[in-house]
Amino acid sequence: MPQLALTEAVFYILLSLQKPLHGYGIIQNVEELSKGRVKLAAGTLYGALNSLVDKGWIDALPENPESRKKEYVITGSGLNVLKEELARLTELVDNGNRLLGGN
Amino acid sequence: MRRVFHKLYFVWELEKEQAWINEMAAHGYSLEHAGRLTFTFDETEPGKYTYKTLIIKGHSGSAENVKYFRFLEEMGIKVVCCINYPGVCWVYTRALAEEYPEGIEVYSDIDSTIDSMKISGGYLIFAAVLTLLTSVLNLWIAFGGTGAFAPVNLICGVFLLILCIGATISAVKTFIKISKLKKERAIHE
Repeated sequence: MPQLALTEAVFYILLSLQKPLHGYGIIQNVEELSKGRVKLAAGTLYGALNSLVDKGWIDALPENPESRKKEYVITGSGLNVLKEELARLTELVDNGNRLLGGN
Repeated sequence: MRRVFHKLYFVWELEKEQAWINEMAAHGYSLEHAGRLTFTFDETEPGKYTYKTLIIKGHSGSAENVKYFRFLEEMGIKVVCCINYPGVCWVYTRALAEEYPEGIEVYSDIDSTIDSMKISGGYLIFAAVLTLLTSVLNLWIAFGGTGAFAPVNLICGVFLLILCIGATISAVKTFIKISKLKKERAIHE
């Protein structure tokens, strides 16, 4: 079965986690990356992080005892998935531009 | 100053209850505790907090929910109190209005919203079935099932029947919304 398309939230979460971030950091980073268009809600992020940890696409780092906030970082397989998705999105954009007379 | 209010909200009136709690917060009363019929508020700066009530699966003390509540707190959403019901719990949360000026949104994607609505819908069905059974039992007793006519059971039976109709209507509305969201998901993310 081919790799299914990632949701926008998952794509941006994986993109954000190339450096370790905690939940609130991810929300801020995604908002910044999307110029305020994508605002992840806490429950959605929580569910997505748990699913991505289960799939082995991200790792939960040992908790920092000072901040008590859990940080996450992308794994090698998560990075591969992200690259495959980027290729899929590039194909969509290229075809869209070609057929609609864009760049 | 602390104020205690006694109010009854039915199982399908979650949004109405939430609107009232937010109205109280706008007038300078922050919810500190909620029971099944009582709401305790402390006087605070008007508009300081915004509230959101959630229905989640399981007991509030379960390891999974404790983890979830901690995550919400990391996001600036504090769990004020919980009321446990069979299989689900009502969670009263709040955040600083300056951090959540548009109110607390817990779900920003269709899948999570559908999952959350399924929990509410399932609970409404459970409530409808339970009230229907107890209503029928009361009406049977009222009309001489165990001997003489019993007016108290008649009142209870009618009241429970009204509850059952309310829960059923609300469950149907919830599942219609779920169906619309599923159709939407087939096109949009």
